[in-house]
Amino acid sequence: MPQKRVMQIKEHSLVAPDTWRMVLDGSVSAKPGQFVQVSVSSTYDPLLRRPISVHDDGPDGLALLYRTVGRGTHMLAEKKPGDNLDILGPLGNGFPVPAEQKVILVAGGIGAAPLCYLAKKLGEAGKQVIFLFGAQNATQLYLPKTLIPSLTALEKATDDGSTGHHGLVTELMKKYLENGPLPVYSCGPEGMLRAVVKTAASYNAQAYVSLEARMACGVGACLGCVVELSQKSGKTYQRVCVDGPVFPGEEVFCHGC
Amino acid sequence: MAADLTVKIGNLTLKNPVMPASGCFGYGEEYAPFYDLNKLGAVVVKGTTAKPCLGNPPIRLAETPAGLLNAIGLQNPGVEAAREKIRSLAQTGVTVIVNVAGHSVEDYLKVIEVLEQDEGTAAYEINISCPNVSAGGMAFGTDPRIVESLVKTLRSCTAKPLIIKLSPNVTDIAEIARAAENAGADAVSLINTLLGMAIDTSSRRPLLANITGGLSGPAVKPVALRMVWQVSSAVNIPVIGMGGISNAQDAVEFLLAGADAVAIGAANFVNPTVCIEAVDGIADYLVKNGFSSVTEIIGLAKNTSADKKGGACGCGKK
Ligand SMILES: Cc1cc2nc3c(=O)[nH]c(=O)nc-3n(C[C@H](O)[C@H](O)[C@H](O)COP(=O)(O)OP(=O)(O)OC[C@H]3O[C@@H](n4cnc5c(N)ncnc54)[C@H](O)[C@@H]3O)c2cc1C
Ligand SMILES: Cc1cc2nc3c(=O)[nH]c(=O)nc-3n(C[C@H](O)[C@H](O)[C@H](O)COP(=O)(O)O)c2cc1C
Ligand code: FES
Repeated sequence: MPQKRVMQIKEHSLVAPDTWRMVLDGSVSAKPGQFVQVSVSSTYDPLLRRPISVHDDGPDGLALLYRTVGRGTHMLAEKKPGDNLDILGPLGNGFPVPAEQKVILVAGGIGAAPLCYLAKKLGEAGKQVIFLFGAQNATQLYLPKTLIPSLTALEKATDDGSTGHHGLVTELMKKYLENGPLPVYSCGPEGMLRAVVKTAASYNAQAYVSLEARMACGVGACLGCVVELSQKSGKTYQRVCVDGPVFPGEEVFCHGC
Repeated sequence: MAADLTVKIGNLTLKNPVMPASGCFGYGEEYAPFYDLNKLGAVVVKGTTAKPCLGNPPIRLAETPAGLLNAIGLQNPGVEAAREKIRSLAQTGVTVIVNVAGHSVEDYLKVIEVLEQDEGTAAYEINISCPNVSAGGMAFGTDPRIVESLVKTLRSCTAKPLIIKLSPNVTDIAEIARAAENAGADAVSLINTLLGMAIDTSSRRPLLANITGGLSGPAVKPVALRMVWQVSSAVNIPVIGMGGISNAQDAVEFLLAGADAVAIGAANFVNPTVCIEAVDGIADYLVKNGFSSVTEIIGLAKNTSADKKGGACGCGKK
């Protein structure tokens, strides 16, 4: 159940260029893939809360990992440890729990934020996690140090070749899908998600993608955040905030068309 | 002693004057986890049409300074599916006001016809002011003759209170309100959103897929307040005021301007408990200022204004 809560900032630091990690005192009992709506200002400008994924949650607090892109996220970056933050959450459906023992996670840039929490939880459940991480360059490939040893495999790709595979992260998927389909969980820019879904489909693997949309309420009431899905019943608009943010890949990027 | 918060809209008595505005509260389900919806004066549900309506393609929202543009396009499951949701909300004891939308007179009639078969609906709010649908919607709300004939037709179909929701996108909103009153409306509600737009400088295209959208939130409050003042001076039926109300003090301003009740829209998105905080805040205000009932403050700001209003030229300016 979502709740409105005021939480104190415990830690807040720049972990990569334009990328901040914030830890709040307390847990929201989130599932991987869920998010919170953060109030960045107590005035009317900016008016709306900002949706940010749960990057980690548990007894050590609620962690967020975010990139400063516009006014709201820059205002968030100015907050100091000890400050209070008004949070609404946990929100959204989260990633479905896989039946398989082995899963592939494909992260693009800041899309790694929710996948870190997913990887941690899957690892705790005894699953093997293959983490494929792509970004523009090496400096943007931040992962929490504690997560890395728990991964079965970690492979990186950069657009500029500054580290790992020089090229698209989706090109790394093939090696792991060749021996049979594994479920794929992905979050990142739309172009990458489209390629992830296409690659997974070509190996008969099921892909789940976590989407972004401009949001107002975050709880399903305003119908502002919809994405067009192609389902068996035809075209529908579904709310990213409650029906998502995680959707079966083929419903978002229908292959036939 | 606690102040009496009850207000009347036609033959309907509300336990307090606060309700969430249409389109900002779904069918109530989404906000039920946050508080007991029975504490609200009423719940105004999403604009409901005769047939299911897909709505506009995304992007549907754009944040603006102290405001929000939306172009939802009346996405709703249609009256048959909405009926179930309305019934279950009403069963919890909530006073449900159904916002009725359509593209033609027949559309409005169909929705009312279906809902008349149930007990669940306490009143109808007739949306003749939606800026986000291509045909009908706002077009109905901008011509007093069309308003009058639509309201007359609907009046003959129901004995339940008919609240006509007015568009601010007109030259003289008071004239439209009078047309609704003449045709037998029980109340008017205002304002719906103000037509606006936003442009994305990187794509060099309008940000909203619908190109234009409706502006709401704190940015519109002064405009809404002025219109509530004008309309409540022009008609004798109750007025439900809305537009930018974000807390109890804003709500009190609308009551003082002449609103008999208030609705809260976009502020729910920012603060999910705003409606309930407004109910408590209005009660506090009344007690602190020595009023025993909310009806005592309705239109109170006008009492002293009679002698201040108008200069020698009678043009309304000093
Ligand atoms: C479910 C979900 C989870 C997210 N998780 C993260 C995360 O973990 N880390 C992270 O860095 N970012 C995340 N985002 C994106 C983040 O919400 C935006 O970067 C942020 O809202 C931008 O706000 P701004 O004021 O800085 O930018 P501006 O461009 O000034 O914002 C203007 C308006 O557009 C909205 N907006 C702009 N970009 C986006 C976007 N990409 N997605 C949604 N709304 C947007 C803003 O919320 C605001 O209402 C997530 C988005 C969603 C929907
Ligand atoms: C997302 C959104 C959806 C809306 N949908 C409807 C609707 O279906 N029917 C209607 O009459 N008004 C609708 N409105 C208008 C509101 O009911 C209200 O008149 C307006 O937003 C002004 O109030 P506010 O500033 O408190 O939001 C909608 C407003 C918003 C923000
Ligand atoms: S943000 Fe309001 S329905 Fe999703």
